[in-house]
Amino acid sequence: MITQPATRGADAELVSASLTDPEAFAELFDRYSAMLYRYVSKRLGPEPAEDIVGETFLVAFSRRRSYDPSYPDARPWLFGILTKLLSRHHRTEAARYRALQRAPVDADVESPADRVAAGVTAQASRPELASALAALPAKDRDVLLLIAWGDLTYGEVARALGIPIGTVRSRLNRGRRKVRASLGDTNPMLEEE
Amino acid sequence: MDDLKMLQDLGRELEHQPPATLMRQRQRLLQARPRRRRVTWLMTGLVAVATMAAVAVPTLLLSGRQTVSPPTGARPANVSGVVNVLLVGSDSRAGTGRLGNGARSDTLMLLHLPADRKNVTVVAFPRDSMVRIPACGSQPARKDMINSAFSMGGLACSVKTVESLTKVRVDHMMELGFSGVEDVVDALGGVEVTLPEAVDDKSAKLKLSAGKQVLNGKQALAYLRLRHYGDGSDIQRIKRQQVLMTSMLKKAQQRLKDPAALRVFLTTASKSIKTDAEFDLDTMLGIAGTLDKSKVRFVMVPWKPDPNDQNRLVWKQPDADQLFAALR
Repeated sequence: MITQPATRGADAELVSASLTDPEAFAELFDRYSAMLYRYVSKRLGPEPAEDIVGETFLVAFSRRRSYDPSYPDARPWLFGILTKLLSRHHRTEAARYRALQRAPVDADVESPADRVAAGVTAQASRPELASALAALPAKDRDVLLLIAWGDLTYGEVARALGIPIGTVRSRLNRGRRKVRASLGDTNPMLEEE
Repeated sequence: MDDLKMLQDLGRELEHQPPATLMRQRQRLLQARPRRRRVTWLMTGLVAVATMAAVAVPTLLLSGRQTVSPPTGARPANVSGVVNVLLVGSDSRAGTGRLGNGARSDTLMLLHLPADRKNVTVVAFPRDSMVRIPACGSQPARKDMINSAFSMGGLACSVKTVESLTKVRVDHMMELGFSGVEDVVDALGGVEVTLPEAVDDKSAKLKLSAGKQVLNGKQALAYLRLRHYGDGSDIQRIKRQQVLMTSMLKKAQQRLKDPAALRVFLTTASKSIKTDAEFDLDTMLGIAGTLDKSKVRFVMVPWKPDPNDQNRLVWKQPDADQLFAALR
């Protein structure tokens, strides 16, 4: 390698640059750590999130040689590692959803204005949503939340979890069906709209 | 509004924004040369124990000693006659002006001196203990590893955390940096340890054969920091520290009877430690004078694996509280 491009482009280039220049990997951290942190904070809360994000990048760094450079976007890869690490915390996660079934709104999360913007409906249906999430099998929950909370596409979830896209669809459908069932299959908002 | 949309809204409600401290994880990444992140520094306490064990000569000076303020707010009562000293081993390069700058604590021990001074107890707190850390300065209260109190809030926060967890009043605090260990061991003329198995660790640059060995400062530090030895756990590392401290104590008791040697020793030690302002030389010497016949016992806070994370541990109750109650 004789010259380095002035600005590094795709994630894949960063990963391959990091093979000779480990510090290049830190740029991936700068790009995605906040996103991963937000995702973990939704599933496990803020307390363990920092450490898990750090761990995710450490694991990614140690496996960077096996990154497939034909995928420019590293997000699915990082989410895949993260999902594995999260599976160690399934008890914390389940406890969190159970607590949400009982607890009133977190006072510390947002201002009332944000809460209104974020959706009164979700808030009102929180106990039902939380109990549905708590009851889902881990595999279905991973797929559902990677899509709903991680903003990945079906294809990206398939890559993250190393499963066929058809499996992503079936798990997602199963998960959504259970969520809808817990909401009583009736949605008050539909009638208002 | 469909179910997916409602889930997304729930997600937004639950979401937290990344704190500034997330950058510490970036640091961790940059420092992570292949699987070295558990590398542990340190050791501590030896200065305090050795100092106190010695019958000190009052003309010695702890020049260049740095001091820190104690924590504020409500604290457990001071029981008269009892002295508790919190010892923090950090990776700071003490003596080079970098103290308190991004230093991490790796070793946390409470030295308990009962009123009669007969049986000194040294309690080690495993660094991977998940505990409730009280609010320190701008940092809110949270559940985290016990050693994070030091990296986030410094020595005073470590004291506050230990006090709130144990309800034991910490009368004095002391921090010993990384390079201090080497200097102190060398000042003692090396320490003797018995190794159950040979060591040949390239990352720690340490090669020792099994059996009785006299380690110099550099070797002692490397030995304490070893990662790939025994089962590689923090618990084992604490045990190694305790063995080494005991050995240093013996050496100190033999060697520091000679006032000249003691002077050299304390001058060296003074460069590597940081204490609260009240813990001055006279106080130390006063304590040291009462300790010449004390027995020292090393214990670890009773613990069990954290059910939420196999890499962490939590304190076993009621055993831990019983231990602390004996120290109040």
